[in-house]
Amino acid sequence: MESSTSTIQEKPIVRRNFLSRIMDNPVITKELKGRMRGRQGFIIIGSYLALISFFIVVIYLFLAVDGTIANGNPGFLQIVGKVIFSTVVLLELLMLGFIGPALTAGAISSERERKTIDLLRTSLLSARALVFGKLSSAVVFLLLLIFTAIPVQSLAFFLGGVGLAEMAVSTLMLVVTAIFFCTLGLFFSSFSQRTLIATVFSYASILLSFIVFIIFLFFIGVLGSYSNPSVLVENIVTATMWFLFSTNPFFAAVMSEAILIEDQSLFITTSNIIGTSSFPLLSPWIIYVVFYTILTILLIGLSVYFVNRPDR
Amino acid sequence: MSPIIEIKELSKRFNKRLAVNNINFNIEGGEIFGLVGPNGAGKTTTMRMLVTLLKPDHGEILVGGYSIRKHPNDVRRQIGFMPDSFGVYGDMTVQEYLDFFGACYKIHPHQRTHLITDLLDLVDLGHRRDDMVDTLSTGLKQRLGLARVLIHDPNILVLDEPASGLDPRARVEIRELLLEVARLGKTILFSSHILADVGELCSRVGIIEDGKLVALGTLQQLSERVMPHRQLHIGLLDRKEEAQTMLQSMTGVSEVRAVENASRVSLEVDFMGDDESIHQLLAKLLAQGMPVVHFSEESKNLEEVFMRTTKGIVS
Repeated sequence: MESSTSTIQEKPIVRRNFLSRIMDNPVITKELKGRMRGRQGFIIIGSYLALISFFIVVIYLFLAVDGTIANGNPGFLQIVGKVIFSTVVLLELLMLGFIGPALTAGAISSERERKTIDLLRTSLLSARALVFGKLSSAVVFLLLLIFTAIPVQSLAFFLGGVGLAEMAVSTLMLVVTAIFFCTLGLFFSSFSQRTLIATVFSYASILLSFIVFIIFLFFIGVLGSYSNPSVLVENIVTATMWFLFSTNPFFAAVMSEAILIEDQSLFITTSNIIGTSSFPLLSPWIIYVVFYTILTILLIGLSVYFVNRPDR
Repeated sequence: MSPIIEIKELSKRFNKRLAVNNINFNIEGGEIFGLVGPNGAGKTTTMRMLVTLLKPDHGEILVGGYSIRKHPNDVRRQIGFMPDSFGVYGDMTVQEYLDFFGACYKIHPHQRTHLITDLLDLVDLGHRRDDMVDTLSTGLKQRLGLARVLIHDPNILVLDEPASGLDPRARVEIRELLLEVARLGKTILFSSHILADVGELCSRVGIIEDGKLVALGTLQQLSERVMPHRQLHIGLLDRKEEAQTMLQSMTGVSEVRAVENASRVSLEVDFMGDDESIHQLLAKLLAQGMPVVHFSEESKNLEEVFMRTTKGIVS
């Protein structure tokens, strides 16, 4: 082997597009290959689809047996279609919350445990490329889960009752949720020495956010229940509650669907849906997407910082 | 010729412990430099600062003229680092493992294919190319690690305890490999507890203890510094006492010790003088009719130098 350092030290300026930069990231290729090489990937996809299919069958049978809905109701099939669609989306949201952090909580910490992190950090692979590589491979796997569930979801189209807008909004929310939960696991992994600790932190933070959400709701509810609040106070309370509901994946999904049905509106609704005064509010899915996108960007930035930080 | 590695007033503190204390030394291009010292002496910390994994609290390291603080990527391009204990990705084949690190060093895919074949031939792992990394023995993993270190054709190899945990055969094989790599013109900085390896491989040695560089030089220079006398071994058929008395009266002899040996009479002589003086000493013994059957000089031993230089202080 001849010494040819000059070939490596040269830094040719080549303009590459975003896609080719992603494809050039060795971490993505490595992670995806590793994820799909064993049985683990197929077991996760199989179990995921089996669970969704099971719930769909149960719901269908339940509605079919329940004569009060079916009897003489011309829109019965549309109801079944809507319920199946909503259940699949909520189920997917729930499962993404479980699977997302599990895929990334060991992303960086396992490199530390395996003692391979030093090999990566002394290479020319940047901390950003490492973080993006790990995140992208996990997100791509979750997207695979979301898209493999579409044929199951399409049963709802067959039965009717679900529009293209609902499909688009729900898919967007699922993608944003998938990316956020993966980022959350990655964030804790970026500074944890052990994967177990990163995993515990990830799930604990999800649980904690739910508890904080309920406490806030309770607090705001109490604040709003004082007799004769001024219009300003009432509007602030309404807007805050609206924001809180919109940041919760389940409430945001259900409320967006409700607004779509009640107001026939995809983007704007009015505040009298939860308050007495009336002023325009953004549909929860918009707040949800913007809020979690900002949070995701923040967590990615912090993860890059922690990975890049020299040892102390 | 300017040194390829310049370490200037380097210090690193971990909380209250001063792990590296004002270390200064240079390494010339093409050298094999050994860093030895007791556990916790500061060898690994020094190496980790050199390869940009740790930030020094004080001082500077220049690698090929590039500062580790200001130009870490230019430093990384020039260095191949093998930590004391490093993991491998068990779920990859040998070929994929090297290909992944080749990609991490931004080597073009077409170049990587040829490079991997050459490297696997160099470390004699060509026949295990498609095997999973997990199935390799510790020695073979170490060889794979060496191939990985060379993937981007660095000028400098920094190897922290490359022979630790290896059986004697694997140790010898790694030593041979390092010599082969050195013949390619690479500069090698390595640390080891196996002083025989260091003594055999290195052109220069630095002894580090309690964060300080306590000795630096070629083995010959270090030996002369800590053991100014030369040690001679003389084997005789008989007339031990007579020879002992005669030697003690000779110029340059500081001490003569009789060594118990079942088969023959042996004397150990501490002697100060050049080769000509040694020749004269032997000639005098023979002129007096001493029945000399063995005459040799103790080769310089790094272990002895190490023991005399260090005090066993661990920070």
